Amino acid sequence: MLPLLRTQGLSLRAAGRWLVKGLDWEVRAGERWCVIGRNAAGKSTLLRALAGLPVPERQGQVFWLGRPQADWPGADAALLRAYAPQQAVDRFPVSVQRLLALSTVRPSAQRAADVLAALDAAALAERGVLQLSGGERQRVALAQCALQGAPLMLMDEPVSFQDPAHQAQVARWLAQLVTHSAAPSVAHPVAFASPAALVLTAHDVNWIARTATHVLALSTDPSQAREGSWQAGPCTDMLNTALLEQVYGCPWRSVGGFWVAD
Amino acid sequence: MGLTGPRLTALALALLALLAAVVAAGLALGSAGLDLELIVTLRAPRVGAAVGVGALLALAGLAMQVLLRNPLADPYVLGTSGGAAVGGLLALMLGGALWLGAGLGALAIGALLLALSHGALAAVDDASPRLVLTGAMLAALSGAVATLLLTITPDQRLRGAVFWLMGDLSGAEGGGVCGLAALAGVAAMVWRDTAIDRLQLGSEVAALLGEPVRRLRLALLLGASLAAGLAVASAGAIGFVGLVVPQALRLLGVQRIRDLAWMSAVGGAALLTLADLVARTVVAPLELPVGAVMALVGAPLFIVVLLRGGR
Repeated sequence: MLPLLRTQGLSLRAAGRWLVKGLDWEVRAGERWCVIGRNAAGKSTLLRALAGLPVPERQGQVFWLGRPQADWPGADAALLRAYAPQQAVDRFPVSVQRLLALSTVRPSAQRAADVLAALDAAALAERGVLQLSGGERQRVALAQCALQGAPLMLMDEPVSFQDPAHQAQVARWLAQLVTHSAAPSVAHPVAFASPAALVLTAHDVNWIARTATHVLALSTDPSQAREGSWQAGPCTDMLNTALLEQVYGCPWRSVGGFWVAD
Repeated sequence: MGLTGPRLTALALALLALLAAVVAAGLALGSAGLDLELIVTLRAPRVGAAVGVGALLALAGLAMQVLLRNPLADPYVLGTSGGAAVGGLLALMLGGALWLGAGLGALAIGALLLALSHGALAAVDDASPRLVLTGAMLAALSGAVATLLLTITPDQRLRGAVFWLMGDLSGAEGGGVCGLAALAGVAAMVWRDTAIDRLQLGSEVAALLGEPVRRLRLALLLGASLAAGLAVASAGAIGFVGLVVPQALRLLGVQRIRDLAWMSAVGGAALLTLADLVARTVVAPLELPVGAVMALVGAPLFIVVLLRGGR
């Protein structure tokens, strides 16, 4: 089966340094990837490149279902990948309901209500986006992303504004989203007869451990030889003190099964 | 939030009733009372021009606001109206046709804007500061040129030129053309309703959903320039309508472009007709510049709506 997402020699550059160099990587259906790295390591830029959005400088190829990103017409790409930015910027008053209807290729009030309920945001449907708190707006953005109905979902820092209760709720929701959204939501020449896949970014290692199945670590090692280096693998192989220390450049210990940075 | 169902219908009916009332008053009221010939030959074309120009200005404002994703944008921000004013002044000085000069001026600024900001439109980025800044500079430039032109305008034409610059509907022509253009604008916005609504959420959001962002923004820029040019050509530089009408509708809870478009057209028409009625009746037989009256009528109205919507 074709991977939903594959990169071949993907290199990204910004502010005069390589964020990632020669990334050869695959994301398959049912996988939940988390990209980790220090601030300014290039996590968001990578997510933008994967979504097909403009980035400062890129080389190499990104394939969606085996087809180069650039060969996908915009309307087809909208059925394949969805992207939630780190922070949505709203300028005009519009209700959450209307926002969600606009974010969907085939609007369904029932699905929108279900997703909002799953994110503890059912009460927000009638509210205007300009009146939402940061955390509320973020959960609405996650609902937008999921409702687009695309199997490949890219979420940049989905829980940065969430309180602990909502972090846990979002973690459960994401796990359920990627294992259960198997049915293709729209009739389309490309048969999405596969479950969804998720690529997100986050900083809380304990949250990552309960949410993600795989981790892609971006290094910020300043030495010339290691600039833009990366490592990818299942959480079980990746989440260990040695790798965390290498990625974040600080000591780590495991206390009662929880990761603590020193 | 969000006005739907019966409340939206009620607002729509209220707007239409307001337009009908204002048009009837515009035809009936004046220094000479109810004289059929006077109404047909003088007041009807003037009210027609106010309706057409007001509708066009409001639509141009709405298009600019979506294009720049700034609820406070206005056709004047991008300098198109300034270009039209310069073209019209040149025509007045040289004794050419006003509408031709204004039309050419608006087109020239529009073309210049397109050439200079080509990159900004092509990029799928959002804030487009380059487009706004280019427009602001072009507006400043055409303002300076207009002032220079006024200083060398012969005395016998200066008063007419100044009044026209401030906005003047007396003897205005082109109500029919402006009305038709406004209808076309509303039709286009209703036709691309969803795409424009997505563009309001952000260029990137629209692009991710597969909308042809570049083409949409180009169409909005051309449409808004054309509308502003036509409006200036028929009635001079009248500000405020494009800013206040769509903004007031949004504050009242109108969300969808298709509703905003036709309601802006109706609201703009009613507002300018009302302003013109006030301009020519309050100190009759003297006439006030409708542009100034526009601000006097519009600003308090805007503040009322702002306070109401802010609750």
